[in-house]
Amino acid sequence: MSRKLARISVIAALLALVMVAVVPVSSQSAGEMVPSIIVHSVTQAERPIEYETTRLVVENMRELGLEVEHRAIPWAQLIDEIWYSRVEGQGRAERPFQMTHWRMVGRPERSDPDEFTYNLFHSSVRDGGYNFVGYNNPEYDALAEAQRVEVADKEARLDLICEAQQVIRNDMVNAYFIHPLTPQVVNTAVFNPDSIVSQAGIGVHNFWTWIGIEPTTDDKTLITSTTSFLNSFNPLEIAGDAPSRVTEMTWDRLMRINPIGVAEPWAAESVVWEDPLNVVVTLRAGMTWHDGEAVQSDDAAYSFEAALAGTTQTDEDGKEEFRPEAPDYHPFARNVANIEIIDDLSLRFTLHTPSAAFETSSLAKLNLIPKHVWEPIINDLLERDDADADSIQEEIPIGSGPFKYVAFDVNEFVLLEAFDDHWARPKIDTWLMNVLPNQEATLGQIQAGEMNFLWEWPGDPGVLQDIVAENEHLDLFSAISIGFNYFAFNVRYAPFDDVSFRQAIAHAIPQQFIIDNIFNGLAAPADSFVSAALEYWRQCDDLPTYDYSIEGARALLESAGYSWDDDGRLLYP
Amino acid sequence: MNRGVVYYILGRFLQSVMVLWIIVTLLFLLFRLAPSNPLASYIDTTFTKQQEAAILARFGLDKPLGEQYIIYLFNLLKLDLGETFSYSGKSVMDILRADLPNTIYLTLSSLLLAYFVGVLGGIAMAALRGSLLERVGTTFTLMTRAAPQFWVGMLLLTFFAFQLKLLPSSGIGPAIVRYRWETEWDKLMSPVFWRHMILPTFTLALYLHGLPLLLMRSNMLEVLDQDYVTMSRLAGYSEWRVMIQTAARNAMLPVLTALTLGIGYSIGGNVVIEHVFSWPGLGRTLVRAVQQADYPLAQGAFFFIALIIVFMNFIADILYSLLDPRVGASAQAQVS
Amino acid sequence: MQQDAMAREGQSGKATARFRQGSAIRQLWETNLEVFQRDKMALFGLFIFAIFAIVAILAPQIAPNDPLNPLKNNDGDWIKDAMPYWLAEPGEDEAEGYTNTFLLGTTNIGRDIFSQLIHGSRSALLVGFSAAAAVAVIGTVIGLLAGYYGGWIDTILMRAADVAFGIPFIPFIIVISAFFDPSIWNVVIAMAVLLWRDTGRVIRSQVLVIKEQAFVSAARVSGASDLRIIFVYIAPSILPLSFLYGSFAIAWAILTEASVSFLGFSDPETISWGYMLQDAFNSLALSREAFYWIVPPGLCIMLTVMAGFFIGRGYEEVLFPRLRRM
Repeated sequence: MSRKLARISVIAALLALVMVAVVPVSSQSAGEMVPSIIVHSVTQAERPIEYETTRLVVENMRELGLEVEHRAIPWAQLIDEIWYSRVEGQGRAERPFQMTHWRMVGRPERSDPDEFTYNLFHSSVRDGGYNFVGYNNPEYDALAEAQRVEVADKEARLDLICEAQQVIRNDMVNAYFIHPLTPQVVNTAVFNPDSIVSQAGIGVHNFWTWIGIEPTTDDKTLITSTTSFLNSFNPLEIAGDAPSRVTEMTWDRLMRINPIGVAEPWAAESVVWEDPLNVVVTLRAGMTWHDGEAVQSDDAAYSFEAALAGTTQTDEDGKEEFRPEAPDYHPFARNVANIEIIDDLSLRFTLHTPSAAFETSSLAKLNLIPKHVWEPIINDLLERDDADADSIQEEIPIGSGPFKYVAFDVNEFVLLEAFDDHWARPKIDTWLMNVLPNQEATLGQIQAGEMNFLWEWPGDPGVLQDIVAENEHLDLFSAISIGFNYFAFNVRYAPFDDVSFRQAIAHAIPQQFIIDNIFNGLAAPADSFVSAALEYWRQCDDLPTYDYSIEGARALLESAGYSWDDDGRLLYP
Repeated sequence: MNRGVVYYILGRFLQSVMVLWIIVTLLFLLFRLAPSNPLASYIDTTFTKQQEAAILARFGLDKPLGEQYIIYLFNLLKLDLGETFSYSGKSVMDILRADLPNTIYLTLSSLLLAYFVGVLGGIAMAALRGSLLERVGTTFTLMTRAAPQFWVGMLLLTFFAFQLKLLPSSGIGPAIVRYRWETEWDKLMSPVFWRHMILPTFTLALYLHGLPLLLMRSNMLEVLDQDYVTMSRLAGYSEWRVMIQTAARNAMLPVLTALTLGIGYSIGGNVVIEHVFSWPGLGRTLVRAVQQADYPLAQGAFFFIALIIVFMNFIADILYSLLDPRVGASAQAQVS
Repeated sequence: MQQDAMAREGQSGKATARFRQGSAIRQLWETNLEVFQRDKMALFGLFIFAIFAIVAILAPQIAPNDPLNPLKNNDGDWIKDAMPYWLAEPGEDEAEGYTNTFLLGTTNIGRDIFSQLIHGSRSALLVGFSAAAAVAVIGTVIGLLAGYYGGWIDTILMRAADVAFGIPFIPFIIVISAFFDPSIWNVVIAMAVLLWRDTGRVIRSQVLVIKEQAFVSAARVSGASDLRIIFVYIAPSILPLSFLYGSFAIAWAILTEASVSFLGFSDPETISWGYMLQDAFNSLALSREAFYWIVPPGLCIMLTVMAGFFIGRGYEEVLFPRLRRM
């Protein structure tokens, strides 16, 4: 026993030694050697594509005279070493991250450029939000804020969005390299291929396909799978891609993002702006919850009130802080100042500030939840300190969406069936999603017909192309995603605080090679956080290009004053 | 049972409890070395310091280490293993309760198959001693013990699931069938479940059969040398009868003990097989929990497996002392 | 393995006859010689290890390509999924702008499988022998101390063994591997921490028998110190047992390293056979029926593990003569 303890402490001590040995990032001085750099990515086992891409870029960075370590760790740990290690002394990592492979996934509400434009780079979300790279540019902040309130004039907003893209591309805050062409495979022997809807930036796995897809046989079951986690079935939690698919089907929304990426009324019959701060929403008549109760305006109002609910607490320093009960949705409701119920079916939202994205990122984002179910739960949560809406799992989730709950086994499967009383009843009867972390199993099932809709594929895209070529009943669909893969630089610290250095790294990313060899052609080159899928928001002048060229990168460094020592190691200006 | 035996069992039991307590303590310390914090499971735009604190409080991670340890021990006594990080609103026990039966079915079915084949094979090997067939048989068995289980699983999968398409490749059954299983009994009554169990069971049994076979063989050889076996031979009994009735019965005892131990160790060792066949058991959950940095769940699964092992070790000790008349309780205590 | 130990423990008493007075070192040498003279399989095991050791040492010379860097064709693109040249359709390689010289083809990223296989022998042998050495040394020392001194030292060490027996081995290694940065040494450390238990117990019970023998008493009477008695008089007699456990530990370590790598907890920059299988599994080699990728690493693991078994059994048959083929 004592020996074991001793041994464990020896391991711990060794580990501590290793940590101490890693020199923390120091501030630069002229002629000093650029210290060794750590580039993070997930492990090869978890996402081979991201690992191989990073490996390739790291090799190229070494050719610039840098000493680079490729640190591949599991996703959960990566979050810890990136997201929670932004600045010195934060988190458990021994130093702030420097550079990492990262990816943003396409979600319908990201069809409006606001979310990426604002959240990825606005200085206010630098410490805890999505701006983990630490970009801080007052000029850019002004742009991001201006596009947000530019409600009336869409073209003026486009100019702002274009300018924002220019600034980010010039400053090389993130080195974008691809938008994935999300490959999806559908068994067209059992579904009519013409009934499959491709949503801009999302692909065929979208709400419109779920309700519109036509089965051509008597078995009206759509069977799909996910390789990631299916760990919640909760209208007040954003748990990930797979759970989001399920909540958007089970709970209706006032508006929905249509296939070309624009919010249109859905559960609302009309959405009328009285002025930039007031909007009147009228619900469709005759909608019911899955438990038979009528959907009314006070439910709609409560859906937003629940997202706004929370308690204000004072911390040790006497600072007051607000703790929302639905932290995932609170940001999307935060702009609502007042909700007034006009009659059973209509209500008026009053905003704090005008917002161009309110329809997309609020009305089309928040799930409508039944007040009679959630009010008691939220009231109870307000009394408690130790839980919020994230930790709630209803016995039988009740929504008003076109699909209703049948069964849910955490991280095993979700089974939904068509809600007969819905005004847009789906053409399929049953919708089933299995959790299949094993890709071999996924392939086996789609070929054998045990599954008929493959929407998520983290593996080698070439395999899907082969499978489709071999099986007549399978069709491959692919669409440019709103999401993107990129390398994020921690711009707070040297050497990544230097624009020229970042631009040089961008030159060292072999974009086309990655697309051809790692993605098997199933990716589109990326140069911005606004995807080519969002055609309207890409009507800009050409953004600066960073062609792949090691010589170009070296030349850029040289002109910025960098030099190399006799061993070829890069020196600061 | 005489008093000595009772005292022996009691003593052994207390020892097992002590061992478990030490393991549990080591587990607690080990998991304090974990590389990521629980917040890693929550990426959020709006996190404030207080929310982070609230989450830490929810998992009791804001308290001093000593206090955490005491709480942990008391919770363990109530079999309360805490809340998971990555499964929203579920406790560790909820998850493990669902996993445990699957792991047990797989372990028991493969062990039974392995020991049935192994014991018979061992008898045959002993009967065939010195022959070419015995050499071939023993070498084959050694090969099955030397081949990595997951690799054998992969080959069987490629052949039976992907090429011949005879058997399902993963899981315990399609969800469309599974959601109708309200109880474990429904599951066990479903032919679909058994069909899914064939490949993993066979893969495991292929590996597990080696031990009983080799053990049975050497025990048989030993017993066959004994006087009473020679006596039966001289008495004119047929060789077959000597083998089965006299020798095999006596050679079986150590094999039974090994079986008891095997249950414990297989449950801990199934991890890889459960991974290959996506079998929703303790091992797969452990691997996923570790990958997801869901430490309460990983810790809980680890504890459960350790609990089973310690318990089976205890049973094996008892069996050993009861079944083997040559080893008295006191002698047994001295040897191990 | 654990079970083997339990099973063997019951027979340990019967090995006593071999441990008698005499030049302990010469005795040890003779036993070792006897193992490999008597048992052709053990010799074969030794032969397998020797071959793999040569391959491991000369890996960079033998491997035709770099195991980690994808191979490129004339256009600079990766040579992905190339079949072994003896399976590939002739002319296919030229059309794709490369010459197919790959004995076992390439991976889906374009890494040379044969070169990986060659380099994989390094981690297998490194892990196998260092883990075996750690297990045998720790187990032997603990067994010697517990058996010789008895009393509270014995109690503590044997309770520690009980604890080690209660900790599930593979889960323990998974947790260790996940908590520390990926490295093949995790497996070695975890094995050293846990697996001394089998060796320790058996050696202890052997020491209990030997220390009552006349030559030990004689040494004690002549005034030899405890440590001298342990390491000069007793240790050589039980060393064959350590070798026995060491040989099995080599096998066990190679298998374990393969499992851990297969589950994705290894360092991808260190090629091992388990890692290759993990890569194949995750890169869907099964449904591509890329047997040239799946089969060789598994065969190599099996061969080296069997080599460990053969040698272990060789010792077993000499030490426990009753098990001998009749």
